[in-house]
Amino acid sequence: MTPPTATAPEPVAAPLIPPSSHRYADVIHRLEAGGSMLPDTPENLMQIIGIYKAYAVPMDFYWRDLLYIAEQVFLDPLPAFKYFPSQEYLDLPNSYAGDQSKLRIWRGGEKAHPELLEFMEKGETGKMSKLLHHLWHDRINMEFAEACMEAMLWHQGMGGRFYDYLDSDAYRANADRAIKAYFRGNPLMLGLYALFPEMFMEQVKKMSYYANLGLFWEVMAPVFFEMSDIYDEGGFKGVPDAMNFLVNGIFAVAGRPIYHHVFIRGECFEVIPKSEGFTWLYEAALPYVEAVFYRTAPFRGTKSYNAQAYQVPADQADFHYGILYADVFPVGSAGIPPTLLMQDMLHFLPPYLEDLYKQHKRGEEDKLIQLGITFQRSMYNVTSAVIQALRCALLYPLDDTDPEHLMANRRFFEAQMDRFLRPEARLPQIQTQDYR
Amino acid sequence: MPPFTLLFLLIPPLLGVLLVQLVSAERPTLVRALAVVGPAVQLLLALLCWRLPTPALHLSWLPKLGLSFDLALDGLSLPLLLLTALITALAILASPADQSRPRLFHSLLLATNLGVAGAFLARNGLLFLFCFELVLIPTTLLVAIWGGANRASAAIRFIMYGAVSGLTLLAAVLSLGWYGTGGFNLSYASLAASALPPSAQGAILLLLLLAFGLKLPVFPLHGWQPLTYAEAPIPVVMMLGGVVSKLGAYGLLRFGVGFLPDAWTAWSPWIAAAGAISAVYGALNAIAQSDIRRLMAYSSLGHMGLLVLGLSAATPLSLQGAVAQMLAHGMIVALLFACVGLIERKTGTTAIPELSGLMNPLRGLPFTMGMLLLAMMAAAGIPGLAGFPAELLVFEGSWTTFPRATLVSLIASGFTAVYAIRLFNRVGFGRLDNDRADWTSTCWSERAPAMALTLLVIGAGLWPTALTGWSETESTDLAVRSQPFLSSAVPSPETLAASGSTLVAATLPATSELRTS
Repeated sequence: MTPPTATAPEPVAAPLIPPSSHRYADVIHRLEAGGSMLPDTPENLMQIIGIYKAYAVPMDFYWRDLLYIAEQVFLDPLPAFKYFPSQEYLDLPNSYAGDQSKLRIWRGGEKAHPELLEFMEKGETGKMSKLLHHLWHDRINMEFAEACMEAMLWHQGMGGRFYDYLDSDAYRANADRAIKAYFRGNPLMLGLYALFPEMFMEQVKKMSYYANLGLFWEVMAPVFFEMSDIYDEGGFKGVPDAMNFLVNGIFAVAGRPIYHHVFIRGECFEVIPKSEGFTWLYEAALPYVEAVFYRTAPFRGTKSYNAQAYQVPADQADFHYGILYADVFPVGSAGIPPTLLMQDMLHFLPPYLEDLYKQHKRGEEDKLIQLGITFQRSMYNVTSAVIQALRCALLYPLDDTDPEHLMANRRFFEAQMDRFLRPEARLPQIQTQDYR
Repeated sequence: MPPFTLLFLLIPPLLGVLLVQLVSAERPTLVRALAVVGPAVQLLLALLCWRLPTPALHLSWLPKLGLSFDLALDGLSLPLLLLTALITALAILASPADQSRPRLFHSLLLATNLGVAGAFLARNGLLFLFCFELVLIPTTLLVAIWGGANRASAAIRFIMYGAVSGLTLLAAVLSLGWYGTGGFNLSYASLAASALPPSAQGAILLLLLLAFGLKLPVFPLHGWQPLTYAEAPIPVVMMLGGVVSKLGAYGLLRFGVGFLPDAWTAWSPWIAAAGAISAVYGALNAIAQSDIRRLMAYSSLGHMGLLVLGLSAATPLSLQGAVAQMLAHGMIVALLFACVGLIERKTGTTAIPELSGLMNPLRGLPFTMGMLLLAMMAAAGIPGLAGFPAELLVFEGSWTTFPRATLVSLIASGFTAVYAIRLFNRVGFGRLDNDRADWTSTCWSERAPAMALTLLVIGAGLWPTALTGWSETESTDLAVRSQPFLSSAVPSPETLAASGSTLVAATLPATSELRTS
């Protein structure tokens, strides 16, 4: 019998479209409700924000050094010191954070992060010269950043006009001027350039991708720093909040120019001028997510693949070796890029993540794997932000009342989830906290 | 040292059995700690007996039956006694901290030690038989009570083979007494001195080959081994492979080569063939196994084949190699199973198809796998490890007598690398299964037994005299064939042992000092 004080239940609006029958229907419904592929739990929020912070510090080095290599080291045939960015680049003001920024969107300082500078000085071993830190491998590992750059260079046809532009006459003319200026007074290299022009042109293309990725990460580093600060202030209430912050961030800088300038003897050579109109979202962010999160390439040292037995797809678009598919467990072999990234993040973990890792699995012993899996969770959240941003840009609002529009959104989400149907995808695993 | 010191070598395990009964079964780690005291003291006493030669002990027991309590140590028995004490101590330490029914478990391990040590110390045929049979009871109980899912059938098979082995040995020992020229005297001195008719020698040797061939085991008498090694608890397998199987080898050497030299010479081509076949059969079967325990069992069978080859040739060098192989194999097989035990304890399985990626530095068992790799390398005869000098001596000593069998065994020995690589490729490398890899890493106390064995395997490889130096004199005395290409080039073993400039004399006493019987 209903108690007299009971209020009648509010009528629930019937859903405008039927539930999805996709294998990841739960995830799709969550995305349709404005959520992330990563379940909204306090621990997930803590994990992803903690790892964003740990990622942001080395990323602050990555983007500075990537730009240093693209703009200053350029075609140095023996770039032994390319991982030693000049003070000018360590002090380079971030374009979107700090008082000196051109367009201040995020908080943060304008120079390299203090934790980064402290680590560069002391490392794990102690205070010694940069060269000794480098030789002892007690440093930020740029090899991971270069692997990401190479993935973007190698995987083509990921949307945008950037790669096609690298074959244009305009680009070749600009590159030609830069090459000749760089090797002016060096008949040997100029002779080699005359003999093998494509080899040099390929190197310039690579440098352009260094610039592309550097400009991409220049944006992401302060975003992650700010997310960490907001979390510490108690600002984020759940995983969707964190994802929406990323979505807003993406749109805030979607139009930042992507360019490649080279500085040779004080003169700036615009290999890719800003006037070409390449923008951050379409020419850097989306290709980066596609190339690095989804595709990349089998890292040597993680697993052996037999291409003759078709264990490696013939079509590059089918590659699935990115962090969203990565089996983090075998990672840990010395020197391979995923391990190097984890090693980088290990130095900057916030205390609450350190404590979390101590409570699970092997505690201190396998922190590298635990943080790798946290990183995987966090990148599912970043990918969710990108998916939502794309949906926002290309399709309809989530609260649209037109069933056809909602079905269009549904098809979009289902198409995105289809990419995680392959057995290597870790989407099912990250739905629970047991996966560590 | 007084003769009674030899008796004291048998008392520590006995006291250990009593001591563990005083502790509550609820405290298995304390029981384990007390149990290990027995073999540890035994080891120390044996080392004392080595440094301070001890005269033989003669005590009358049942003279009408020819049974007397004659104990002595020489260059054959002392190293094996040391090995027994060491492996027993490490096997006890390798048992899990939460061992069920710990008092009975460790008491039975100590009883096994008592039997084996008694057999090595015995200088009377019937006393040897008594100790030989004593071993069967605790080992069978250990398999039957603490074994795996098929422990019942493993225990039944083990005791059936063991019973046949014991009965044939009984028949052989009694025959030695009956046919002996000095009356029914079963002391070793009497047995060695009596000249048996050739026909009797042949019949008795056949019995001995059956008795000890079952214990070793050697093809085709190995039926009990794979199942027992697969089902028995790891400490028990360490004892069976590391120590108990050496009873068979020691018996063949002491009784077959020592007391029946003519028959041994006549039958040795067949014995060599059995050894070579065992080596090949064991290695090929090891390659085909899908379970690590069974792989190790067949690997052990193969290496027993090498030992038998060395015994069959019966040259001074081959016999010295056979003794060295007993010691090396004892340590290596114990190390192999100690590592397998750690893998099984952590992953819950030894099935090769279910394991992969154990070399993973963060979530695998890299330390254990490293030790396992080293043990496999030692088994394969990689220079610098214990297996190398032993196998080299066996091959070198047997080549002049049985070149074909030696060549076949040499090739079989090379197969060790095949199954070692196959095992590592499948278990060590590859993908670590996310669903299974949530075990904890091994702690130092768990690793300690394997680490001690690892150090010994490396130490014996770098200093081979620790394996070969003990038995130089005995090997020469027992040899039924000469070593043509060494006899003129190298001084006699006695001279070598007495030379102040050699490692042998510097570190191990001349074995003649140990010969007290």
